[in-house]
Amino acid sequence: MIAPGLALEQAPPFSAPLRFFLTAPLFLAVAGLLAAWQPDWSADVRVPFGLALTHLLTLGFLGMVMLGALTQMLPVVAGAPVPGVRRVAGLGHLALLLGTPLLAWGLAGGGEMALLAAGALLATGLLPFLGAASLSLLRGRALDTLRAMALALTALAATLALTALAATLACGLALLGWLAGLWLPADPAAWLNVHVLAGMAGWIGLLILGVAWQVVPMLQLTPAYPPRLTRFLLVAAGTGLLASWLPAESMRLAGKLLLALAAVVFALTTLRLQQQRKRKIPDVALSYWRLGMANLILAAALLPLANSPALQGLTGLLFLLGFAVSVVNGMLCKIVPFLAWFHLQGQRGMLASGLPSMKDYLPDAACRAQFRLHLAALACLLPAPFLPLMAAPGGLLLAASAILLGWNLTRAAQRFHACGGRF
Amino acid sequence: MKQEVLVDARWLPPPEPMEKVLLALDALRPGQRIRLLLHREPYPLYGMLENMGYLHRTHMIADGCFEILIEARQT
Repeated sequence: MIAPGLALEQAPPFSAPLRFFLTAPLFLAVAGLLAAWQPDWSADVRVPFGLALTHLLTLGFLGMVMLGALTQMLPVVAGAPVPGVRRVAGLGHLALLLGTPLLAWGLAGGGEMALLAAGALLATGLLPFLGAASLSLLRGRALDTLRAMALALTALAATLALTALAATLACGLALLGWLAGLWLPADPAAWLNVHVLAGMAGWIGLLILGVAWQVVPMLQLTPAYPPRLTRFLLVAAGTGLLASWLPAESMRLAGKLLLALAAVVFALTTLRLQQQRKRKIPDVALSYWRLGMANLILAAALLPLANSPALQGLTGLLFLLGFAVSVVNGMLCKIVPFLAWFHLQGQRGMLASGLPSMKDYLPDAACRAQFRLHLAALACLLPAPFLPLMAAPGGLLLAASAILLGWNLTRAAQRFHACGGRF
Repeated sequence: MKQEVLVDARWLPPPEPMEKVLLALDALRPGQRIRLLLHREPYPLYGMLENMGYLHRTHMIADGCFEILIEARQT
């Protein structure tokens, strides 16, 4: 007879990533409602509601999902578990759950106390997570096979992404201190520049890059990313990020151009590999990835040119909503049912029969309906920096898409529980 | 009774290859072995097979895919 719990030794408990995945759509829904309620947010990303909205998207939705995904991914790519994963994930999740709305409230004009409390909460929850994730990467096994080398490149991308997250957090806390009147930086725009680029290109961009190298070939049955190209992308993105923080305007522009080049090469390569996939059957996750890559190319093309508030708003929307939210949405449609299948199979014994298949947890039709709502939201929101009237329908559609995403994921978790799965 | 059970899981998306192998292992009779064909090397499967008491041998085949021969460990 086969003992239960097989192949689960390395994996964290299902609750570690799932708690992040189930609550993230809530913040996306609130961001949509805020966009609909305050339609002039799109005039300038730096107005209070624009800042609140941006942080609901970046910390509340993307940050939540990415931290959850890291708890699952690091043991595989580093070959070492995240120490104390249950407690670290619980604390990080609680910090984002409470700190993000408080931060959004503070940024939208809620006062200095809200800002300071949000900063303290986020630092308390995210620093232990960063520490534990770094330990996992440092304890990684020696690498001597081709597979290990491919994983090592993803581990390196994750390391750089976590370093960028640390820089984003540090600059964000410094800016909060400034907004709360604790200190007066000589050049607040320079802090903001590092905060924004480290957060977007470093944390979000590099982590998605590293994850794509593993999941696109595995889940979409494409050829692998060429190793030389992945090394080039890491070097170009890292160098571009550092150059874009330098004081000289010419270096900053060169840095942004390098970042844009890396993004376009990555997106075009991904689209080309997806063209070469072995089984050309419709797949919602693939649609999300293609949409994401098209938006990334547009965002990269606009990055060096975006010198007006409306163009900067559009670039931010293309990157955050068009690229990052789309890709993360596509990954959630696959990761949650896969983990539910994996954990239930492991808990009931790998040879247990009659258990739900992956598609039973999250049917394609449910994901496809949500994709259509997301697409409609994007079609309304992208013109919104120039046509503020579009923000209201776009925001409502985004909220509807997020609610459906949350409902789909919750149903998958309920099914897992109903079949006797333990979180 | 056939001595070899063929499981062709080439170009199936995960976790379908794993589901097929687990079904085949469940139905495996004494003396039989599984010949699994797959488009990539199934590293996560190896640890599971080891824990479940199976031996495996992997070879790359002509089309760049992998052939994994699985049989129960003799005690």
